[in-house]
Formats: sequence, C-alpha cells, structure tokens
Amino acid sequence: MKKLLLDRIPGVKQILGVYAVIVFGVYSWTLFVSFYNLPSWMFYLSAGQIASVYAYALLASLADSLLLLAGVVLADYLLFFMLRDMTEFQSRAIVIAVAVLLCSVIRLYLFSGYEDSAEFISSECKWWAIAAAVGLPLAVLFSKVGRLRGFIEGFSERTSLFLYFYLALSGISLAIVLVRNLS
Amino acid sequence: MAGVTLAGVAASKKLSAITAGSDSRPNIIVIVMDTLSARHMSLHGYPRPTTPNMDAFAERSTVYNNHYSCGNFTTTGTASMLTGMLPWKHRAINYGGLVLPEFAHCNPFSLLGSEYQRFGFAQNAWADHLLGQYPRDIDRFLSPLAYSLTAENPALGLFDNDRAISSIAVNDFLLSMDGQENRPAASSVFGYLNRSRIFRQTAAQVSAEYPRGVPELMGGAPFLNEEVYDGVYAELLQLASQPKPYFAYIHLFSPHDPYNPRHDYRKLFNDDFAPPVKPVHPFSYGFTEEYVATRRVLYDRLIAQVDDEFGRLVSRLDEESVLDNSYLILTSDHGELFERGFLGHGAHFMYESVLRIPLLVHSPGQTKREDVHSLTSNIDLLPTLLSFAGRDPAPELDGRILPGFGGETDDDRPIISLIARENSAFAPVEKAVFSMRRRSHKLIVYLNYEMPGRNFELYNLESDPEELNDLSSKDVKTASAMKDEFFAYLNEANKRYSRK
Repeated sequence: MKKLLLDRIPGVKQILGVYAVIVFGVYSWTLFVSFYNLPSWMFYLSAGQIASVYAYALLASLADSLLLLAGVVLADYLLFFMLRDMTEFQSRAIVIAVAVLLCSVIRLYLFSGYEDSAEFISSECKWWAIAAAVGLPLAVLFSKVGRLRGFIEGFSERTSLFLYFYLALSGISLAIVLVRNLS
Repeated sequence: MAGVTLAGVAASKKLSAITAGSDSRPNIIVIVMDTLSARHMSLHGYPRPTTPNMDAFAERSTVYNNHYSCGNFTTTGTASMLTGMLPWKHRAINYGGLVLPEFAHCNPFSLLGSEYQRFGFAQNAWADHLLGQYPRDIDRFLSPLAYSLTAENPALGLFDNDRAISSIAVNDFLLSMDGQENRPAASSVFGYLNRSRIFRQTAAQVSAEYPRGVPELMGGAPFLNEEVYDGVYAELLQLASQPKPYFAYIHLFSPHDPYNPRHDYRKLFNDDFAPPVKPVHPFSYGFTEEYVATRRVLYDRLIAQVDDEFGRLVSRLDEESVLDNSYLILTSDHGELFERGFLGHGAHFMYESVLRIPLLVHSPGQTKREDVHSLTSNIDLLPTLLSFAGRDPAPELDGRILPGFGGETDDDRPIISLIARENSAFAPVEKAVFSMRRRSHKLIVYLNYEMPGRNFELYNLESDPEELNDLSSKDVKTASAMKDEFFAYLNEANKRYSRK
C-alpha cells in the first residue's frame, strides 16, 4: 500500500516543470494588473514606494503560485490516482493549472467591480463546473497524445527561464519587505 | 488585531472615575463620521429630523456652524484634518494618496507623543493609509475590518510597521479592496478567494432587518453600525482604565455609501421634502431628480441610524463618567452632494453640501451650548487638539486654534478647499477645482477644465445659500478681487514645485 501511494508522487523535476508554468501565469497576471494601477501610483507614490508595492506584490505572487501548485498536485494525485504512468503527470497538471488560473483571472476581470458581487457569486458554481468539464478531459487528452504532451512540455521548458527570473525577484522582494518592516 | 469585548470590560464600572487623578490632563476623543454633510443635519437646519441625538449633544458642546473640509473626498479631507495643512502643502490629493514624507510627522499621534496612550481606528481604507504613515506612534492601531463581519487577515498584521505601503499593495492592489475604478484583484489565487469570501458574506447579510443588505466598507466587507459602535465603546472603556491620558482617533465609515440603513429606519422621512431644483452641472452624470431623491432619502435614513448609535454611545460614556475628563469631538472628513444631476462626492463639485461638515467639541464637564459662526476649516483641528494637551502647534501648520478655545475670530480669513485628484502630488497644482470662501462670498475655480461658458462661479452664501445665482459675471468687482487673491495663494503654494 505504501509503495502504491509513493509511486504516484511526482518527481521534483516534473513538479518544477508545472511550477514554471504556474509562476509564468500568476506573476504575469499580477504585472498585467499593475499596469492599470501604475499611472495613479506615479501620481502619489515616490519611485521607492512604488518599488516597495511591487515587492509586496511579487511576494504575494510567490505565495499564490505555491498555493496553486500545492492544489494542482493534490488534485492530480486524488483525481488521477489510478493512472500509474507518472510521465504524464507534468502535462496533465499543467493543463489543470492553466484551467484554474484562466477561470480565476477571467472571473476577476469580468466581475471586477463590487456592484458585480451578486453575479460573481451566482455564477461561481457554473464557471468552475465549466472549467472542470473542459479542463479535466483536456488534461487527460494532452497527457495521452504524444504531440500534445510534447507541446506542453516544451512550453513548460521555455517558461522555466521566467521561473528563475521571478524567483530571484521574489528573493529581492523578500529582502525589501523585511527591511521595511524590521527597520 | 483582536477587538476588545464588552464582556471584558463589563466589570469596570466607573472606570474613568477610578483612574481619574493619576494624570489630570484631559483625554481627547475624535469621532469622524465619514461623509456626513452638515447640510443634511437637523442640527444645522435641515428640514428632516436626521440628528436629534447630535442636536442634544450640541446643547452641551461648542458648535461650529460654518466649518469646512479642505477636500471633497476622504484622502484630502482627512489628511488636512490630521496634518493641519492645506492640501497643496501636504499633497495627499489623489485617491488613496499619502501625505508627503516630510510632513508625515505633523499628526496628532506623533505630536502628542508617548505621554498619551494613542488609539487609531479608521474603517475607511484611505484614512487607514494616512494613519499607516506613522504606525509606531499609534499604541493600539486597529484594522479597518475590526468589529466588522469580515474576519481580518492575520497575515496583514505582519506588515504593521509598514502599514501605509503594505495596505496600498495588499488591500488596494492585490485584493482590490478599495473599490477604486473597478480594477481586478492582482492576486489570482488569494485575491480570488478573498473576493469570493467577502461577496458571500455580504450576500448572506440580506435579511428582514437589512432588506438591502448591511452597510459595506470599501471593497464590500460587511459591517453593522450597532457592532462597530459597541466596539468603539469597549475600546474607550479600555483606554479609560489606563493610567495615562489617551487620544483616540475613530474614523467610522457610515453614513458613506452604500446607504443601507436598518429596516426600522426605512420608515422615516416618507415626506414631501423637495429641495430646490438646481441646474444640471456639465460634469454631472445626469441623474434625474427622482433618482437623486431616492438616494437622498436613504442617506438621510442612514444618518438617522448613525445618529442613534452616536446617542447611545454618548449616553453610555456619560454613565461611565468618561466625558468628565475628556474632550469629545464629532466631525466628518467631507460631505455628500445630491444635486445638479450628481450624487456622491469626490468629483469636480465644490458646493456647500460636500464641503460643509459638522464640528462639535464637548469640553470636559461642559453643560452649556456655545455657537461659533465665524468660518473655520478642518485644518484648525490639529492645533486645537495640541492646545488641549498644552502643546504649541508645530510651525509648519496652516491651521489655527479654533475660536472658543483660545483662537481669535478672523472674519477676513479665506477658507480654501480643493480637489486635485488628477494632478500629480509632486508637481504644481495645475489641474484642480478650488473653492475659496471669504466672508459671505464663495469663489469656485475650475483650473484647466473645459467648462462650457465659464471657469469660475461666485456665490453670495448669505443671500443665496443654495448656490443658485452665479454672480461671476454680475459682480465682476468681487469676482476679480477674489480671483486675484486666490491665484496669489496658489502661485505661492506652487512655487516650490515650479518647473525651471
């Protein structure tokens, strides 16, 4: 039983491949939204203060990405427990992560005002059901079809550059936040 | 931060009486009711009986009948009150903006110093940003969510030493909780979860008691005024039990919109009150009179509810003898406007309803009413608070000690307010709307705005309190003199930012 459970835990390299895509998506969204805010920040925050806001944002993105990674790995483990071939894990988990992330950011974008609160709530189950209905079969499809899997893995490989870049920035951000709060 | 519970202090009857005498300096309690227009208070002649409890409180307070905010939205109005400076000096002029770091030390918390136990609570996130510029000078600093129906995020407490910037980053940007211009949350996971949690909590509050839902903070976090005022009472009792004198700044969100009064207040003011119809302003949203009237009555009802809560608070403080050795100051940061095709605040409107705010100062043991009719500004509050504590005002302050507390009446004093949210805080003020009140006249200046047919308005508020008759082209002499004076002040203020 123990072997059965352990055999289905993905390797670090595979997890890093998934994490690279998650980091790319999560940090890109944060930076995208920051461009809405940047003009107004420039009106009332100094350059140092704006840099500090970005430091908090990048740290939050780090937390976001780790939480999403944990959720996706767990979901994959539970939902696809019966699939023994762990070479498929990476592409499958990436598709799940992309589905979750897309659903989340599209909803945040469409229902951004708090006058949209009623619609945000009433449509929540429907949106996540659709995300699951589309995402899970696609996850299986992309993991089973060699060319699709190759495409996803290639994409993951290219985003690994962002992984190291953003993680380095997050490290600097952590230092900035620590200095601001401990000094 | 956890709130103080009523049960926890229930045993402390007559707390202030017990502790009084350990330090004879009076306590100072400032209660700011966000968005409370003096022109909607029966205390100041509004036809609807919106504020009977404040009217009663006024009978033992000093009442300022012509008190103005320096701004028409929270950031500017609150920053002026806290710094004692005009907006073109402190520069918190943008939505959610901050006071220039060089002036951040000009605030009651820092200037009163550690001899006072200092308590800060601002339900309005933008006011919280301003207090967050000096978190180390506030001994107990509550989160805007304290005493609300939404649990505070404990992670945010980690950043209390950098409250202003962390709040802009986390609340305004990552969680998009400031309600500003409908920007999506930048945090795709926590931002989403937070939004879902708060919207669900808000929706769950719709009930027979609150058929339109309960009041909400910026970003939609629900709260009940009943619970918030209970919390304020518990905090004040806790402060009264300390040996030190205390300063409490309490910035409460209601009657800010959304106007969601409790069910029993929804029966009020079903009357035929109809204020004069005013010309639609070119910058308005073109709301119909009927729609504006439906919103006005909700606002008035919410004021009535808040007034009852205030009355309840004062009577409980009286029972505990807290006011025997305390100044209690009631004011607002700006008003609210329901006219000219517009409703709300923070837009390009500098009419009386949005600038005239209440100011009532109850001195320790005061039993009689005093009225001050001369023009005063909310920049006068800080120097007055400092005088209560026996401190000299800082030289940087523009405000003066209020008449009635040692300040002199100056009938020639100009009272200036502005909105410059589209202007950089680091540049000369070149795009803004200003108001300058001097004696009975008020000049409104639209600087670098395209106003069809006019860039100035002039009103004589003694003969035309509703600002219906624009005199800018009829009383050219007065208009010209006021313009010259105003631009002299503006040029002086802009000097340090002038481009070379």
